[in-house]
Amino acid sequence: MSAHETVPYTPVFVGKRKLDLDAILLRYPTKQAALLPALWIVQEARGWVSEAGVTEVAAALELSAAYVKGVLTFYTMYHQHPVGKYFIQVCTTSPCLCAGADKVAEAFLRHTGCNELGVTSPDGKYTVIEVECLGACGFATPVQINADTVENVTADTVPQILAGLK
Amino acid sequence: MTTPMVNLTIEGRPISVPAGTSILEAAKVAGVLIPHYCYHPGLPVAGVCRMCLVDVENAPKLMPSCATSVAEGQVVHVHNDKSLDARKGVLELLLINHPLDCPICDQSGECELQDYTFQEGRADSRYREPKRFNPVEDFGGDVMYVPNRCILCTRCVRFMDDVHGDPVLAVAERGDRAVITTAPDAGLTQAWAGNVVDLCPVGALLSKDFLNKARAWELDRSASVCTGCSQGCNIVVETRDNAVVRLKPRANEAVNGHFMCDEGRLNYRWLNRMDRLVAPMAGGGETEWDLATAAVAATFAGKKAHVVANPSLSNEVFFLLGRIVAKAGGAIHFAVPQGSEAPLPGVEDLSLRADRAANATGAELLGALRSDHPYAGVSGGHLLVLVDVEPSAVPAAALSAAGAVVFIGTADPSKLGRLAAALPIANVVESDGTITNLRGRVQRFLQAKAAPGHARPAWYALADVLIALGEKADYHSASEVFSALAAAKPPFAGMSFDSLGLKGTDVAGAVAGASR
Repeated sequence: MSAHETVPYTPVFVGKRKLDLDAILLRYPTKQAALLPALWIVQEARGWVSEAGVTEVAAALELSAAYVKGVLTFYTMYHQHPVGKYFIQVCTTSPCLCAGADKVAEAFLRHTGCNELGVTSPDGKYTVIEVECLGACGFATPVQINADTVENVTADTVPQILAGLK
Repeated sequence: MTTPMVNLTIEGRPISVPAGTSILEAAKVAGVLIPHYCYHPGLPVAGVCRMCLVDVENAPKLMPSCATSVAEGQVVHVHNDKSLDARKGVLELLLINHPLDCPICDQSGECELQDYTFQEGRADSRYREPKRFNPVEDFGGDVMYVPNRCILCTRCVRFMDDVHGDPVLAVAERGDRAVITTAPDAGLTQAWAGNVVDLCPVGALLSKDFLNKARAWELDRSASVCTGCSQGCNIVVETRDNAVVRLKPRANEAVNGHFMCDEGRLNYRWLNRMDRLVAPMAGGGETEWDLATAAVAATFAGKKAHVVANPSLSNEVFFLLGRIVAKAGGAIHFAVPQGSEAPLPGVEDLSLRADRAANATGAELLGALRSDHPYAGVSGGHLLVLVDVEPSAVPAAALSAAGAVVFIGTADPSKLGRLAAALPIANVVESDGTITNLRGRVQRFLQAKAAPGHARPAWYALADVLIALGEKADYHSASEVFSALAAAKPPFAGMSFDSLGLKGTDVAGAVAGASR
């Protein structure tokens, strides 16, 4: 088992996810072109992409595992290690920082028990990171929790947002 | 069809090169080295390092000389202010995260980053932030990776992808976090992977075998040929204090391109072996050369020669052995050790050959007989002459069957029991000579270190034996022996050490251009 893996790896591209991949492959002239969506399928299924996941994607797309690893690590939105059930991204680019984004990030760290950016909380529920511009400067501070965006977040509204997560 | 020639001026020097040549290669013809990192003549062009930018008149901006073809009437400036400023900038950026640990770096002294920074770089850095740090990694095989020193030229990645055909390396992460990485559960254990260490222009990829062994400037270097197999890769033998410490490939487009395999590269310790025969022997004890030579000649009386020779010995040795058996009667036999073949896919006709000996082709051209049982047929009427064979590999039955045994070799022959005589000879890095590779290319090897004790080059010892047998053999150098060989043997007609140069010539009858 590779780094960070706690259970033996089982293939991702089986059943419906295999059909999903086949549908994606139809959209592109080459298998290589489907690399990013294929990695997304793995990440959506497992929450992150392990070395075994890299090997599986490489085999499915007839690419070298080294090349897939290079692409995976180039993009910061793919996780190379497990993250919490709720992956919380706080925008701390200049305008949000002016509006107190650093306090928002601090509040998330305190209330989730993560205490440190990028570290998953002991209960495995939360991981908080700072991100570059989420493109919602007019609604500072925006926070992205998994696929959803919450706008106008302040340090005070953080407990309420966390309480709303199921 | 001949390629049309293009005329251009580089650094004020007018030159004419074939169309399609890069400015960088054209500059080499003009005697101008354009500093570069990612470009290597044995690899596809990448154009990622931006070091080789040059000022081409009438071009809107600086051009990457590795990826720009020559054009008629082009005027190229390599060392004007504009080009120098660009390189200074590139070097400053490359050094932002480089640890500058030259005093403890193996590459120091043969490092292109060190050389160019010294020549053209800024004296200081304007960068005050802490440098990023990544731990040293073991890449497997003979290769160690020091990411902090890496300048991400991607030569290693392209070698494994495009030349070795086993793409296990890639650039991981991006920006200042970028490093070279291996695929999951893969490493550089491939037969030719060690070449990435030579390709690395800095101290990022290091040989574990050579780690902390010597500083580059302490090494003495001699042109030679690898004797590990019948490919005959051109190499440089690097010695320190009369011991071989490293073998490096030497470029020869007709034989090995720019590469050599790991098996050949790492198999050099036997060249420094200490259990050597260091003094001539006769009558059961050490003696003088003249007496030992006379004893060898006397032992031939009334017997036919059964010579068993090492197939990595030089053409000169096989020629002189041929003259000895012509005089005394008998034949020369040799067996070729076998191994598995390991081709390098990206270079035409380059492979670690199954024949793990350097000169089987030359030996056969010079009349020696190849067989799997070189000792078969040895009888009381034979003088068994062992030439540089490993004593432990000689069958006891042959030793007891022979009328007498003479050993002419490098290894301590005490295991062989009673010998009529023993002559100590120099090994391949202790003498000059030529060997013929499997495609018939005759190539020279030069002496790299001194032979131990009283050992003499094999051609010297054998010429004296010939003289003691009443033949004319007044050779004064390996070169003279080779000239005599060329005069006597048609495949080698017209050759001399001078005409061979350091890259060799094909024997007559070899398919033109097929020598690799």
